[in-house]
Amino acid sequence: MYSLNTPPHPLLLPPPLLTMSSTTTTSHLLHPFHHHHLPKPKPSPLRLRLRSALSDPRLLHLAEKLEDSVSPSLPLLHNLRLSSSDSILSKSWPTRRDDPFRYTDLSLLKSSQIEPSPPSPSSPLPDEPQLFPNRFYILDGHVIPSLSSLPNLPNGVYVGGISGVPDRIAGSVLDSFSGFRDGDLFWDLNGIGAPDVAVVYVPEGCRVEEPLHLKYVFGGGGGERRLAVSNPRVLVVVERGGEIGIVEEFGGGGGDGFYWANSVAEVAIGEGGRVSHSYVQRQELGSAHTKWTLVQQGSSSTYELVEISTGGKLSRHNLHIQQLGPDTVTELSSFHMSRSDQLLDLHSKLVLDHPRGYARQLHKCVVSHSSGKVVFDGNIQVNRYAQQTDAGQQTRSLPLTPRPCINVKPNLKIVADDVKCSHGAAISNLEDSQQLFYFKARGIDTQTARDAVVFSFGAEVLSRLPYEALRKSLASDLKGLIADKETIHLPDEI
Amino acid sequence: MALTLPSLLSTSSAASSPCLPPHRTLFTGPSTLSLNRSCRRRRSGPRASVAFDSPAEAGERGGSSSGELLLEVRGLSAVISESKKEVLRSVDLTVHQGEIHAIMGRNGSGKSTFSKVLAGHPQYEVTGGVVTFKGQNLLDMDPEERSHAGLFTSFQDPVEIPGISNYDFLLMAYNARQKKLNRPEIGPIEFFSVVDPKLAMLKMEKGFLDGHVNGASGGQKKRSEILQLAVLGADLCILDEIDSGLDVDALQDVAKAINGLLTPDNSILMITHYRRLLDYIKPAYVHIMEDGRIIKTGDASLAKQLEEGGFKAVSAT
Ligand SMILES: Nc1ncnc2c1ncn2[C@@H]1O[C@H](COP(=O)(O)OP(=O)(O)OP(=O)(O)O)[C@@H](O)[C@H]1O
Ligand SMILES: [Mg+2]
Repeated sequence: MYSLNTPPHPLLLPPPLLTMSSTTTTSHLLHPFHHHHLPKPKPSPLRLRLRSALSDPRLLHLAEKLEDSVSPSLPLLHNLRLSSSDSILSKSWPTRRDDPFRYTDLSLLKSSQIEPSPPSPSSPLPDEPQLFPNRFYILDGHVIPSLSSLPNLPNGVYVGGISGVPDRIAGSVLDSFSGFRDGDLFWDLNGIGAPDVAVVYVPEGCRVEEPLHLKYVFGGGGGERRLAVSNPRVLVVVERGGEIGIVEEFGGGGGDGFYWANSVAEVAIGEGGRVSHSYVQRQELGSAHTKWTLVQQGSSSTYELVEISTGGKLSRHNLHIQQLGPDTVTELSSFHMSRSDQLLDLHSKLVLDHPRGYARQLHKCVVSHSSGKVVFDGNIQVNRYAQQTDAGQQTRSLPLTPRPCINVKPNLKIVADDVKCSHGAAISNLEDSQQLFYFKARGIDTQTARDAVVFSFGAEVLSRLPYEALRKSLASDLKGLIADKETIHLPDEI
Repeated sequence: MALTLPSLLSTSSAASSPCLPPHRTLFTGPSTLSLNRSCRRRRSGPRASVAFDSPAEAGERGGSSSGELLLEVRGLSAVISESKKEVLRSVDLTVHQGEIHAIMGRNGSGKSTFSKVLAGHPQYEVTGGVVTFKGQNLLDMDPEERSHAGLFTSFQDPVEIPGISNYDFLLMAYNARQKKLNRPEIGPIEFFSVVDPKLAMLKMEKGFLDGHVNGASGGQKKRSEILQLAVLGADLCILDEIDSGLDVDALQDVAKAINGLLTPDNSILMITHYRRLLDYIKPAYVHIMEDGRIIKTGDASLAKQLEEGGFKAVSAT
């Protein structure tokens, strides 16, 4: 069990205990919480400690408001909240002098008044075509079982809020919280402010055939310089040999709502398990979107991520993948399109500590607006014991403005000596492209040809989404974004 | 088969290029044909492009049935835009309506470069010469205008375009032409009846249409280029190594399809290394390219000479 006072770095711990057997452990695990923490009176520990600490006063104020906004009666979240409030003591708002934020302008957050989002749904859900039968709604961080529909889940699979987690799996679920300690301010704020955790539990050997669509909806309620923050949190636990496809979809309203979505997804994959993760970020253009995805891969497990991010005014994805045993397969693909005054940022880190891992990362981005920005900082670290690793990393940018703001920093760091690695970084030039010429040579006008080449650039990542309905929906979205000449500023033909 | 096909095909080519000067002007320019033949120039008005449903025709054409001047290349020189390296050195070539020409030559002699310069590839910069196509200055036109004017180039190694299906691509190209001709664009459902017979003609599976552009094998790419040609039509098609990567049966299918697209009025300029192709699509003229220029022109026997004696046998001395 993870505990706050465990001294060693959690990433150096042996694999978390996905294999833990249930019943006895469960009651044992749950005990301490019931005894020590349930009858917890106010004032909260956070408030007490923060008051006395030398911390950023603005941050302290926000943390307090978040703490007040959540229900204290979720024992399974106690440890998370405690560790997060502990950790935030040493944090302050990041500045451009902090390396992870060197190219990431957080002024949208810094200059806005931030309030926790109101507790109840403030806007009706959009009536939209449903792409998957298994849907689970998370509204401003609250799980909404009444809107959800889960007709095709096999026995033993649990999808729901943390308070509904059945006793038989509570131990496993608790142990699967990573206790990650390298999180930033946003990680901690989520730990304090998450009103609930949507738990997805796949038991040993269970293959979930139909994907699970997690729909994150945000009520907004903010305004210019006023953002309502919410902290959705998901924990995916796949026991040994289990398999599931998860589609995380953020936003999609298409408006310019003002809110801040600060989400966390933790994914723990047991030995031989497999998670196919599709992450779609089409937040509204006034919003801020910060996300952590933390993945722990047991031996011989597979994790595939396809990310399509086109929304938000400020979007930051921190992706950390930790390999806990040999023979893992990790495939990461992302496509970012910055097509208005927006910043899209991916900071990824894949650490390989065990032999025979297979890892591929493809990052592609388009910047089609003169104030658009893309940041990519991708680390793949092949450590000493990760012999016979096969790792590859590629990043390709397609700028469509004369002086695009694209900061890409691919980084494949190899300590082991017996490895196969490849990497590449390329900036494509639309006007010189063979593809553009090919379209024109078939009589297609320059503008249509350009749009098609840009689409094709993104389609390489889009086509990796494993579900046709989603691919189609996003393809038509992307075509719309590309064709929307009010937000696209292509350079004039020379 | 009665297709409601691009009526563009049955209308005059003047409609597709409104600024086309009268054909008379074609004959006022220098006409230093290096070919020793009688050239019957018809003065009838501009005529249709490709007739789609003409029966396959495999006989040798060109020598005896030449029509009006179609393409005239005089002293064409070009460099690679980036390095300024000279790749074409004063190329001369004349093609009349209804003629079939072949260009042969060593690897790296400039054959593909020539075809890409004619198509308007930005990788090359024209440094000298004149190219007239249907009376218009071809070098003044954008690649898309050249296509609309009736030039189709099948590339040696067409670029792959992920995410765009063959069907969508064909439809885009087809509608681009419709638009150019001020004709209504066609919807994706109607369009199938345009494509389907062409597919059958090329013995291609319908599933091919769902695949992305040039994502298939080498042989499929070649068929796909001919499918595009069949759907779009052309007055002059340049076929760059259309035979490479095709097995014997596939070569026959493709050759048959190309022959099926031929009319007395359209012309072919094909680039090949093998006489095999010339047995199916019989050229009246064979040109040998060497070091960026055409060094020799003759009839089909030149190809035979080449095959028997190698390039040495046909090289200029
Ligand atoms: N874009 C380019 N960049 C650099 N070199 C080029 C380029 N295009 C052509 N060349 C060079 O120009 C010469 C002619 O090339 P081209 O492709 O036209 O030959 P080819 O006759 O078609 O040969 P093959 O029979 O092998 O297809 C070669 O030396 C080639 O390397
Ligand atoms: Mg060639």
